[in-house]
Amino acid sequence: MRWSALGLVGAGLSLALVACGGTPSGTSSASGSGAAASSAAATEGGGASGSLTIWVDETRIEGFKKLGETFQTQTGVSLDVVQKPSQDIKTDFISQAPSGQGPDLIVGAHDWIGDLVTNGVISPVELGDATVGLTDTAKKAFTSGGQLMGVPYAVENIALVRNNKLATETPATFDELIAQGKQLTPEHPVVIQQGTDGDAFHLYPVQSSFGAPVFKTGENGEYTNELGMGGEPGTKFAAYVKKLADEKVISSSVGGDPAKQAFLDSKTAYIVTGPWWTPEFEKAGMDITVLPVPSAGGQPSAPFVGVQGIYLSSKTNNALTANQFLTFAAGADAQKALYESGGRMPALKSVADGITDETLQEFAKAGENGHPMPAIPAMASVWKFWGATELAIMEGNAADPAAAWNEMITNIQAAIKG
Amino acid sequence: MIDVSDLSAKPQLSHARDLSRPGFYVKLVLMGLVNAFGLYGIMTSAAQQQWWILGFLVASLIVADYVYFSKRAIPAKYLFPGVIFLIVFQVYVMGSTAFVAFTNYGDGHNDTKQVAITQISKTSDRRVENTATLPVSVIEKDGVLGFAVIRDGKAEIGTTADPLVAATDAKVSGQKVTEVPGWRVLNLAEVQQRQKEVLELRVSLSANPDDGWLRTDNATFAYVAKSALVYDQDADTFTDPEGKVYSADNSKGSFVASDGTELKPGWRVFTGLNNFTEVFKDSRLTMPFLKITAWTFAFAILSVVTTFIFGLALAVLFNDPRVKGRTFIRAIFLLPYAFPAFLSALVWRGMLVQDGGFINKVLLGNAHIGWLSEPTLAKIAILVVNLWLGFPYMFLVCTGALQAIPGELKEAGIMDGASAWKRFIHVTFPLLLVSVAPLLIASFAFNFNNFSLIYMLTGGGPNFQGTPVLIGETDLLISMVYSISFESGARQFGLASALSILIFVIVGFISWLGFRQTRKLEEVL
Amino acid sequence: MATNKQSSREGSIFWKYIVAVVVFAFCLLPLLFVLSASLNPGGTLTGSTDLFKNVSFSNYQTLFQKDFPKWMLQSFFIATVTSVGTVLMAAAAAYAFSRFRFKGRRGGLTSLLIIQMFPQMLAFIAIYLLLLTLQDVYPWLGLGSPIALICVYLGGALGANTFLMYGFFNTIPRELDEAARIDGATHAQIFWGVIMRLVTPILAVVGLLSFVSTYGDFILAKIVLQRPEDYTLAVGLYVWAADERNAPWSLFAAGAVVAAIPIILLFMYLQKYIVSGLTAGSVKG
Repeated sequence: MRWSALGLVGAGLSLALVACGGTPSGTSSASGSGAAASSAAATEGGGASGSLTIWVDETRIEGFKKLGETFQTQTGVSLDVVQKPSQDIKTDFISQAPSGQGPDLIVGAHDWIGDLVTNGVISPVELGDATVGLTDTAKKAFTSGGQLMGVPYAVENIALVRNNKLATETPATFDELIAQGKQLTPEHPVVIQQGTDGDAFHLYPVQSSFGAPVFKTGENGEYTNELGMGGEPGTKFAAYVKKLADEKVISSSVGGDPAKQAFLDSKTAYIVTGPWWTPEFEKAGMDITVLPVPSAGGQPSAPFVGVQGIYLSSKTNNALTANQFLTFAAGADAQKALYESGGRMPALKSVADGITDETLQEFAKAGENGHPMPAIPAMASVWKFWGATELAIMEGNAADPAAAWNEMITNIQAAIKG
Repeated sequence: MIDVSDLSAKPQLSHARDLSRPGFYVKLVLMGLVNAFGLYGIMTSAAQQQWWILGFLVASLIVADYVYFSKRAIPAKYLFPGVIFLIVFQVYVMGSTAFVAFTNYGDGHNDTKQVAITQISKTSDRRVENTATLPVSVIEKDGVLGFAVIRDGKAEIGTTADPLVAATDAKVSGQKVTEVPGWRVLNLAEVQQRQKEVLELRVSLSANPDDGWLRTDNATFAYVAKSALVYDQDADTFTDPEGKVYSADNSKGSFVASDGTELKPGWRVFTGLNNFTEVFKDSRLTMPFLKITAWTFAFAILSVVTTFIFGLALAVLFNDPRVKGRTFIRAIFLLPYAFPAFLSALVWRGMLVQDGGFINKVLLGNAHIGWLSEPTLAKIAILVVNLWLGFPYMFLVCTGALQAIPGELKEAGIMDGASAWKRFIHVTFPLLLVSVAPLLIASFAFNFNNFSLIYMLTGGGPNFQGTPVLIGETDLLISMVYSISFESGARQFGLASALSILIFVIVGFISWLGFRQTRKLEEVL
Repeated sequence: MATNKQSSREGSIFWKYIVAVVVFAFCLLPLLFVLSASLNPGGTLTGSTDLFKNVSFSNYQTLFQKDFPKWMLQSFFIATVTSVGTVLMAAAAAYAFSRFRFKGRRGGLTSLLIIQMFPQMLAFIAIYLLLLTLQDVYPWLGLGSPIALICVYLGGALGANTFLMYGFFNTIPRELDEAARIDGATHAQIFWGVIMRLVTPILAVVGLLSFVSTYGDFILAKIVLQRPEDYTLAVGLYVWAADERNAPWSLFAAGAVVAAIPIILLFMYLQKYIVSGLTAGSVKG
């Protein structure tokens, strides 16, 4: 009995907190009520107030905090920037948005669109005339069903990065590149990161040069649900994957970290990677050049292009203010500010053209004819099957690469339908 | 507040009810707080119309008062707090998971039908291509909202009821209408305050509805929009401009056209036992499923056995006062437990890499062993890593439990001249088993569902070839569930939950059997 | 327990030190990687086999310029309250199960064990919605509140812990209770005065287990605590590690090293309670 004392101390403590806690709506982040409560004061001045909640990952938190300050001085609406791990943003948003308590906006890659639309958690965005200023890639990537599903702000893609100390001339085909690399650095002629789950993203520039795009495209340039990587081009590429493994270009042992380390340690002259690592290379004092990936299969190589942007929740109570923020974010000032803090190529033409960073421009050039990453909802399972099959081929677990490849096509098609 | 000093007190007939005892007052104060807490909750939940919470609070409050003020129900006094937490945060969570198993909850079906209809209507009300945007101001008269726009350089106004008409006497400054006689132009804060109305406002361009209407998303510009899909409430269908009809399929939870195309999103519906049977339909999964089941049992049992034997051996060896520096030695043994497990799994994964991993390269002198890619080796590697992660727990538990072995028994053993080993096997070990056996069962159940270890170490690989989903040699049943319901197409919470329940039934049954054994064990001693 | 008699019987104990050293190697090997990475600014966790190539404490400095100290305090608060609550609730339940015979006792014990085995894969949705609803009634018990997180943890307080204690309680002779009862002690006095004193080792063990598991949990914590300034250590570290491209591995490793220190210190402190609890005298009662 007396014992119950301690067991209930928790309850006692909590009661004390109620006393100081204030009104029931106090702790929730419901910005709607905040806006309503403070509007009385704001009406006199005529300025807006309240706040918007936005989820961003650790790579953009600083940029969006700054952007939020500018937005607040312009409109009076504050931006509550909440940091979350990027892979949690999408899943948490999908599970939390229906409760009406999720954020007003989230920031992420364009290949989330499929999932977000399927779940009905985002609203299309109407930017009016501002749409015209966006680069075609960015616009295409963020368009679904003919509507813009978010505001793109940055574009990035992978390319071939060369250590100029080891090589200054780069041949035009991938076979020649391997031959050159073998003489320079026999251990790793060229490095394309893979790892124990495979990595179809980093192999895609090679695959696309065989004329085996992941999906076929429709008339309007949007992807269809029909796979483009089956048939002969696909099986040819499958055989090439085996070759790459035999030539030690790819290996399950060389994931992201070891790949970066090998390039930093000059154990390879070439690495296929994106702009997220080049600052580190430059910091280490390396002299690098960014080039398009040479073609392996005869056709031009096209990397995937990823576009980053801001999505509007369909369940927000602050849709109007949120739209005002989106219009602001599509403007040149905001895009420039986001570039300055994040170092990614802006999605607005006028700002992108003004970028002087040579490496970034080289990346953009290498991605000029890139393919936007597909955004269909089943994409997550496509990646899994794709990577796993390439892994099986390079590990030698699949005796017949072509057969393994065709089986993958069947499985992916089932997953897309399913 | 706890009074433990009166063990030797005189016989008392009426215990905590005795007004002279401090314990009674402590209880009174605490129960007062509990009642205040409960009543506060009852009042707010009534105000919020949360009837389930209200009912639960009333019931628990009555039980609490009965339990703590009655002379009977003594065991309940000790069980009540833990059980309350258990019910709210475990049983309830279990229940709601079980509920999901009977629905199609998942990607594309995550809310109610009404929400789906709203969302479809909302996204289909879209801008007409190649139309201009118009600078807009929101105006108000007698509570009715309207738009004042500038079209072709002239001001026009309109409301939901009245299509756009020219407003010749409106004042324009810059790009915006700033004054309309008889109307009030709302400022930013007012627009924000009534944003829901502003967003829902549609002003027809003309009397002909086919011309479309004006809407705004940001109160800065308006655009011409038309609806691509029209909802007919009576027929429960959506119709697009070409006349294609999408009708509601309430067993599937989506609007489907006759050619099979679906509108997104759908909604949540009950699907009965579908989720429970679906996975058994694909015959290509049978062999892998049996293999995975066998490995799951092997993994769970071997993990318990290895960690327990290793932990127990260390606990016994270093429960010896002659060993100097035991505090330090034990602390080192505990180190693997003190680091976040996901970090350790990552490091092990890196060390086990085939080419250039620490184990192959440094420990085994440039060996080329596929620790994570060769099926048998991968299984061994997982068991070793799990031993590393798990033995400190067993070590700690055994060290604690060893203290309960009464000294007399050991003394008796020594008197008999039994060897240390025999003494251990016949006296210490059975006694120890009584207290740790339930933990071994719990540890079995934990490892049976040890998703995170597999996920982080091998991801289930090496994969089986020729299966329609990505599952592999080292997958456990639970990671297979993950693979099937989340990684092979859209995420299907309903399916995942149904399969989890099946696994739970298996583990629960085995544990129950094991538990009955421990009871026998207890009776023997 | 061990007496002089024993030590004279058994021979050298030198081999035990050798065993200790071998186990040390097993324990420490992966952790050397963590330590090495934590001392190497910009280093990776798995990319290199050269240990201790660079040594610098800059990561540790950076650590304390970030939210890290805040997370640490939050972790201490949550883990301490949870482990105290768990110990008390589990001990009380174990006492009821061990000392009283009532209807549904066996069934209750079994259900406790089995409920904990329910796969928690989907719990995140249920917990999120539960806290959203609770928030309407008790605002301080909603999302983002450490108190709410503690409550979620306490939901699992009964369970394996209760069993550990139950087993231990059963080894305490009932004659002790009887004697106290004849002296007129109430059940509460027996619990607090007799039992709880004799079971100190297992209280310490359960307390430590609960502290460590709370301290290391990031799955439940990241559902409840959604803002970086509210994070616990485990969530914070997880978030750092979750960035696939730019994970600050070396900072992460430094964080893990610092995070492990309190656990080790706590264990060293609790050891005296764990290993010296029961003395021969008290058993005789």
